Amino acid sequence: MSAVVLQVEDLRTSFFTRRGEVKAVDGVSFYVREGETFGIVGESGCGKTVTGMSILRLLPEPAGRIIGGKIVLDGTDLLSLSKKQMREFRGRMVSMILQDPMTSLNPVYSIGDQIAESVRLHQQLPAEDMVREEVISSLRLLRIPAPEMRLKDYPFQLSGGMRQRVVGAIAMSCHPRLLIADEPTTALDATIQAQYIALFKDIQERTKVAIIFITHDFGVVAKMCHRVGVMYAGKFVEKAATAELFRSPQHPYTVALINSVPRLDRKDERLYSIEGQPPSLTDLPKGCRFHPRCSSALERCTHQEPPEVEIGREHSVACWRTS
Amino acid sequence: MEGRDIRKHYPVTAGLLQRTVGWVRAVDGVSFTVERGKTLSLVGESGAGKTTTAKAVLLLEKPTSGSILFEGKDISHMSPSQLKSEYRPRVQAVQQNPWSSMNPRMRVRDIVAEPLVVNTGRSKQEVRKRVLELLEQVGLMAEHADRYPHEFSGGQRQRIAVARALALNPSLVVLDEPVSALDVSIRAQIMNLLKDLQDLHKLSYLVIAHNLATVRFMSHTVAIMYLGQIVEYAETEELFLRPLHPYTKALISASMLTLAEETELGIQPIVLSGEMPSPLNPPPGCRFHTRCFRAAPECRDTAPELRDVGGGHKVACIQA
Repeated sequence: MSAVVLQVEDLRTSFFTRRGEVKAVDGVSFYVREGETFGIVGESGCGKTVTGMSILRLLPEPAGRIIGGKIVLDGTDLLSLSKKQMREFRGRMVSMILQDPMTSLNPVYSIGDQIAESVRLHQQLPAEDMVREEVISSLRLLRIPAPEMRLKDYPFQLSGGMRQRVVGAIAMSCHPRLLIADEPTTALDATIQAQYIALFKDIQERTKVAIIFITHDFGVVAKMCHRVGVMYAGKFVEKAATAELFRSPQHPYTVALINSVPRLDRKDERLYSIEGQPPSLTDLPKGCRFHPRCSSALERCTHQEPPEVEIGREHSVACWRTS
Repeated sequence: MEGRDIRKHYPVTAGLLQRTVGWVRAVDGVSFTVERGKTLSLVGESGAGKTTTAKAVLLLEKPTSGSILFEGKDISHMSPSQLKSEYRPRVQAVQQNPWSSMNPRMRVRDIVAEPLVVNTGRSKQEVRKRVLELLEQVGLMAEHADRYPHEFSGGQRQRIAVARALALNPSLVVLDEPVSALDVSIRAQIMNLLKDLQDLHKLSYLVIAHNLATVRFMSHTVAIMYLGQIVEYAETEELFLRPLHPYTKALISASMLTLAEETELGIQPIVLSGEMPSPLNPPPGCRFHTRCFRAAPECRDTAPELRDVGGGHKVACIQA
């Protein structure tokens, strides 16, 4: 089995606002191995993006703070690094792809310059033509046709799919060990999305990069991820290998989420729907966070929080019903 | 509602005199029928022309050619006053994004009442009563009427938008990506609501969507669009069980939830190469041939007709 690249233990991130402490991430643990993709699925506000931002230590300060836990990347605890050391880690060891390429790329710089910026910053190359070589090879890795001709293009000259590939090229330009991809395919059309996923699987095969894939789309999870964690209100409610999660989801929230997605292979007369909405993070319900919306809640669920329990190989659930 | 050979071409101008140098063929010969109480979905990726088609139906764009028949009457023959009294109130819309489709400074009561105030001579009391009735139908409470849009979640806002669309008792509602801006668990609530309302009021829906799973759940008939044209048109079940056009197959493959589903439907995972060409300069022959995994040499020359292959299942592909 491949080596573990990233180990996150009991990560807690809060935002301190006028309305009080918002526990965006409240005790999250997981790991990612070399060449593996770990998916984080959940709805808006469940803390999946904040988890990614915490690993990169790119929280909006001073409101956002990591208040506990450990983030170990290749043997180094990222939380013990100084700001300067962390800067060196970013890009070189861990990089990120965001959802909307139109906002993550700078519209007034050519794409060649934008990729070169991270190459110059993170790999001390002695000569400019070596930088150029690196830039071209990263464009080639993302299968951007005729990379030499593309260097002088600006983002507006490219299609959405190509722009997202450029973002990928920047992220991969310094050969990181870990890539955090936050909804990278959400803004893309269905067939382009399929292309992008196929491309990243291929890149992963070649570079052995570990990927954290943040998404709300179970279809993307099924195609891309080896293991998945389902998040609800700042915590994982279930973690399992992808096939296992689809075959036998255990947590009522996972079951409900999977059932509420209409299926292509059968005609649904009515969709399963979860009543209500996710709770506000400033005012979490007592006990299990999901109990007000859970159809099979027990008396115990209303006052005692269920721990995450291992129920099989790499399959854990936080629910009183299963433990 | 029937659309016949609708075309919408936008001129591309250049130079000092703004001479027309080309045409963007956003919609290029689209025909469809929406039956009473039924749902037709227009499916396609960005640039396929589905929104332009919907805009033509909503009279937000005037088609370059082609006609739209509503309850048997050609709307291009209606006078502006006829349109105002006989067409516009009967054809309403729900937009994709409930954050931008509502005036943030209006109370829910006024948002839902606006179509009534503009189009009918109802008294204040009648309007008030109707608003509460509408809110109840979409699953909101009377006490919500005096709040502002920002006080609601996305799903609730979409309910408000639905209430507004139903205010005038329309017969057709255009739903432009009605759930794609919402969270997964909320989508199911809204889709169920839309289905219930359809049954209750015998509403016809024209749905614009890119998510095939949503489409299978919501629609009776589906039209798959590519680069301004319909490439496949069939009853929903027929389309999903027997997709014929290579593009439809690729779309279905791309939207599969799990590999197991794919094997059950007998579909190989398909990843198309390239991107949709520009509608400014569509490829000759079959518009899809540049990305098709089954393209034959003749696909480059002959544009395939949308032909009936039995039971109203139409496909535009010479190989099907």
